[in-house]
Amino acid sequence: MGRFSEKDVLLDITDLQIEGYSDETWVPIIKGVDLKLHRGEVLGLIGESGAGKSTIGAAAMGYARDGTRISGGSIEFDGMELTTASEGERRALRGSRIAYVAQSAAASFNPAHKIIDQHTEAPVHYRIQKRMEAQEDAKELYERLRLPNPQEIGFRYPHQVSGGQLQRAMTAMAMSCRPDLIIFDEPTTALDVTTQIEVLAAIRDIVDQFNTAAIYITHDLAVVAQMADTIKVLLKGEEVEQATTDRMLTDPQEDYTKSLWAVRSFKRPQKARPTDGTKPIVSVRGVDASYTGGDKVLDDVSFDIYPGMTVAVVGESGSGKSTTARVITGLLPPSKGEVLFDGEPLPPRYEDRSRDQLRQAQMIYQMADTALNPKVRIREIIGRPAQFYSGLKGSALKQRVDELLDLIELEPSQYYNRYPPELSGGQKQRIGIARALAAEPDFIICDEVTSALDQLVAEGILKLLDRLQNELGLAYMFITHDLATVRSIADEVVVMQNGRVVEQGPKEQMFTPPHHPYTDLLLSSVPEMDPNWLTTLLEERGVDNIGEAAGETKDGSEKASSA
Amino acid sequence: MSVFVIGYYSVLIAASCLAVYLERRRVFMLLFSLTLISFVAGILGGVSALRTITILVAVFALAAGVSYAFKEFLIQISRPGLARELRTAPLTAAFGMFVIFTYAIAGIFAPWIAPHGQAEVISTSFAPPDANMLLGADQLGRDVFSRIVYGARNTVGLALAATVLAFVMGALAGLLAAVKGGWFDQFMGRFADVIMSVPSLIFALLMLSIFGTSLLVIVVVVAVIYSPRVFRLTRAVAGNVVVMDYIEAAKLRGEGDWYLIRREILPNSTAPLVAEFGLEFCFVFLLIAGLSFLGLGIQPPTADWGSMVRENATLISFGDITPLIPAAAIALLTVAVNFVVDWMLFRSTGLKG
Amino acid sequence: MSDIFKLVAKRLGLGLVTLFVVSILIFFAVELLPGDIAQAVLGQGATEETVARLRERMGLNDPAIMRYLNWLGGALQGDFGVSLISGTSVTEAITQRFLNTLFLAAYAAVIAVPFAIILGVLVALMRDTLFDRAANVLTLTSISSPEFFLGYVLILYLSVKTGWFPAISSLSPGMGFGELLERTFLPALTLVLVVTAHMMRMTRAAIINLLASPYIEMARLKGMPPWKVIVKHALPNAWAPIINVVALNLAYLITGVVLVEVVFVYPGIGQLLVDAVSKRDFPIVQACCLIFAATFILLNLAADVGSILTNPRLRHPK
Repeated sequence: MGRFSEKDVLLDITDLQIEGYSDETWVPIIKGVDLKLHRGEVLGLIGESGAGKSTIGAAAMGYARDGTRISGGSIEFDGMELTTASEGERRALRGSRIAYVAQSAAASFNPAHKIIDQHTEAPVHYRIQKRMEAQEDAKELYERLRLPNPQEIGFRYPHQVSGGQLQRAMTAMAMSCRPDLIIFDEPTTALDVTTQIEVLAAIRDIVDQFNTAAIYITHDLAVVAQMADTIKVLLKGEEVEQATTDRMLTDPQEDYTKSLWAVRSFKRPQKARPTDGTKPIVSVRGVDASYTGGDKVLDDVSFDIYPGMTVAVVGESGSGKSTTARVITGLLPPSKGEVLFDGEPLPPRYEDRSRDQLRQAQMIYQMADTALNPKVRIREIIGRPAQFYSGLKGSALKQRVDELLDLIELEPSQYYNRYPPELSGGQKQRIGIARALAAEPDFIICDEVTSALDQLVAEGILKLLDRLQNELGLAYMFITHDLATVRSIADEVVVMQNGRVVEQGPKEQMFTPPHHPYTDLLLSSVPEMDPNWLTTLLEERGVDNIGEAAGETKDGSEKASSA
Repeated sequence: MSVFVIGYYSVLIAASCLAVYLERRRVFMLLFSLTLISFVAGILGGVSALRTITILVAVFALAAGVSYAFKEFLIQISRPGLARELRTAPLTAAFGMFVIFTYAIAGIFAPWIAPHGQAEVISTSFAPPDANMLLGADQLGRDVFSRIVYGARNTVGLALAATVLAFVMGALAGLLAAVKGGWFDQFMGRFADVIMSVPSLIFALLMLSIFGTSLLVIVVVVAVIYSPRVFRLTRAVAGNVVVMDYIEAAKLRGEGDWYLIRREILPNSTAPLVAEFGLEFCFVFLLIAGLSFLGLGIQPPTADWGSMVRENATLISFGDITPLIPAAAIALLTVAVNFVVDWMLFRSTGLKG
Repeated sequence: MSDIFKLVAKRLGLGLVTLFVVSILIFFAVELLPGDIAQAVLGQGATEETVARLRERMGLNDPAIMRYLNWLGGALQGDFGVSLISGTSVTEAITQRFLNTLFLAAYAAVIAVPFAIILGVLVALMRDTLFDRAANVLTLTSISSPEFFLGYVLILYLSVKTGWFPAISSLSPGMGFGELLERTFLPALTLVLVVTAHMMRMTRAAIINLLASPYIEMARLKGMPPWKVIVKHALPNAWAPIINVVALNLAYLITGVVLVEVVFVYPGIGQLLVDAVSKRDFPIVQACCLIFAATFILLNLAADVGSILTNPRLRHPK
């Protein structure tokens, strides 16, 4: 396969089987996976949660987490069989020749020790370097990973450093013994898009410089396209297919892979605001808000939502988009400003609103798992709002529930008596939609409704929402960080940063330059399915103009980076 | 070397060898360490020590056998869902359930099981056991066995009443605090802190010295002392549920607190609350037993395990184990409940180990 | 360091407030007594004259607040008033007994704490082995047994049947330290059994919880040998939970000590309290309760301050 020849094989896993312990029995979680990795090659392992990618990553180090065991197959690292090696022999590889970068750097650094002391631990333990040498080397690595204050940052404790920086420090730590192989286990999943890009650039750079082989585990296709030479797709503990990145992106073979790759095909035409003087259905006017005793989290937020239209509110975590939703629903009374519904001001606290006011604004949540009570039957989850607001009972209620189930394209007789944990993610999300519809609202807040779902399922949900909007004349406030979703469903876009609206307007206008600098940063930071995207971006913007660094220069403030 | 000693060691060693042959590592380790212990015990304590070990092992095996049979019995008579849960129960939990079952029978049917009344003087004081009195007589000449059976009704009943009261008060306050939040939550939390900052036995002694030792006072005082524990746990469990989006959805729908508690929170908190009920019972039971041992519990002539220990304590100095029987009855029930709770906690938290 | 100072000061303040509230609770609980205290103490047969005299002596004619302040002021200076029964100073009756109780608790703690923590850590490391399961059953049995059960079993086997130790801990002045240790061995052992079981279980849970942290897995994946993972990565973070376990169990000793003192007729403050309760000698009851509660609160306070001081996040603020 291209630039890698057979004699350079570093890691050779054949027919790997791993079992997990649950409910008093051992059940297979990895069902015979093969994996071959050459020196200097970066392999992307992708799949949904439960695909077993992280377990394979650990197994590549000869490590089985608590409650799992390697039950079959072979793992050969540089000619050494790990499944039969003694624990001591396997341990001697870890940290020195195979290193690990965990998902949450904040949790994976020991809070009791300075970062640099954790960095030098492995080289000193393996007698590769003396402590002082290792420290000097650490500083150099910090420099290469473009951490601010590389001479000094290592002498801080983990909780004194921001998440994106910690993730880079952990990559530096993995590099400390110049390993042959590094396992990256979802290293950017917990980060914001603008921070993620910085970490991605740093990781790719350093892996390149030292020609280290790597297994890059992620569920994000666009990310893996930037990082990997080869991509392997997993589904429920089995391999679906493997190919070079270019081939995998252009010419996937299996249906499952194609479905993952399918670029969002759904796109509906943009609607314009009504010109006949119709009042906005929801109007947020100059809202300031803060949580008890905290700083201002919303600062003079204003926007309008017109009947039958979709307004997407975009921003990173901490931008205030969910807080805005809380203000609208009345969970968080604003400290200044007001929310108008159909031109009438709403009481700031939901407790003070009338039943009818509560009914008209409904909400659909991101995590269907926490949005539906697992101990309540579907018929009651959907039936309760209908009963509560319209006073339906008996057969009228049953008929209404059936109608709603039909509306969300689920067969009533099959789902009527079931409990949420028995349903798939997409089905649960549909039940969440039905619950909102049961109140017969005019306006629905959709809080990241598709971000926990697979591409295809998400697309189905978006189509459903669009159909319902057309049939029932609903207005949506669509909170999301995913610009692809915005492109497909929004009519208007509101961009938020640090509790402020930085830009708003019709969708087409928002996606064409010139942008506000933050919108620009946000738009450019979202990884695209093109393997050259990161390279091109870095060339265009320069390494100092991405991520936190860019954010700092733009607001002139320091965000927990340098002290 | 008596025949018993030779037989004893040959059985142990043969069983160890069999375990090795069948590759049962754990069984072998168990048997062989027992053999080694027996060597030491035999040298130090002679044949009688070996006999004691034999009896202990036999009792242990009997308990294990009974537990196993009881577990199978429960699996057979329960619904499929429950049966699957029961299958995961370790022998200790099955043993616990069996003991609880036995105590319940003894308590409910006490008047039919006990050969004599609990206050009935039928013999001379401290009369030795005979055909009429299985365990002999106490300091007033009452049948100890009958009083133990009645004790299952009185002592356990009292503890159960106090636990239920503590639980109702604590759980209700905890659920309300979780739903309402704000000052009510703060106030209840502080209040619980203050009550819990006085050691429970000391608090009980203070209150009983003031209000006397009527049954009602004991139940109320003990319930007040232990309800803050229930409050804290319920508050924590419900606190985890309250942050769920489905609670937010119900609140935004305009549902009242009572609906939230009953329909949304309670169904999701039953497992930890049931386990807590068991734990709470153990605490209350031990406290009440301690109080009656100090003479401040159920007043004579009503039979009560704690006071039976106190009344017969002098017998200990003659090497008579009579006072240990009611004490062991207390210990056994508490152990049993703890075994079951241990299993339930393991199930509900999914903690390994 | 200012953050940590503030937190400790706040916690100390909270402890003082709690102590104050508890003192109010203890004092005014007696006020809740139905009817007249003097009458209740003397019983129905008392003449009006004796009741009036007792009222005078107890200062019952003053308002409750005044009496509370007098009582609290006295207590702060070590003066708890006079016993209703004997008429002697409560402080005098309590002092020696309190020292005896402290000795017994310390004796038990010195054995139990290191023993329990070492065993607890061992059991946590050997989790799911036969040893761990046996330890689980044994400790569960031990914490489920009332103190008096363990006490009498020990008396039966270590005193009555073998004659190794005295069943009754009679103390006399001028006793040698060795003899003192021998005389109080059985009560101390009873306490050790109960407290060790509690402490072991809590230590085990704390360590297992700690070992599940991602940074422990990280240390393992860095190739650190098990002892280094424990000593360098787990232990520095284990102080807070271990301090908590120790303090909680020392606090538990206080309750346990009352029953054990009664079983072994040990001349401590617990037995005094039980006697006073049955005689309704309220000044002594209040004094004992205040002392027990204060010790309990102080120990909990020490635990919280200890965990604040050992928390790396607080020791090294941003």
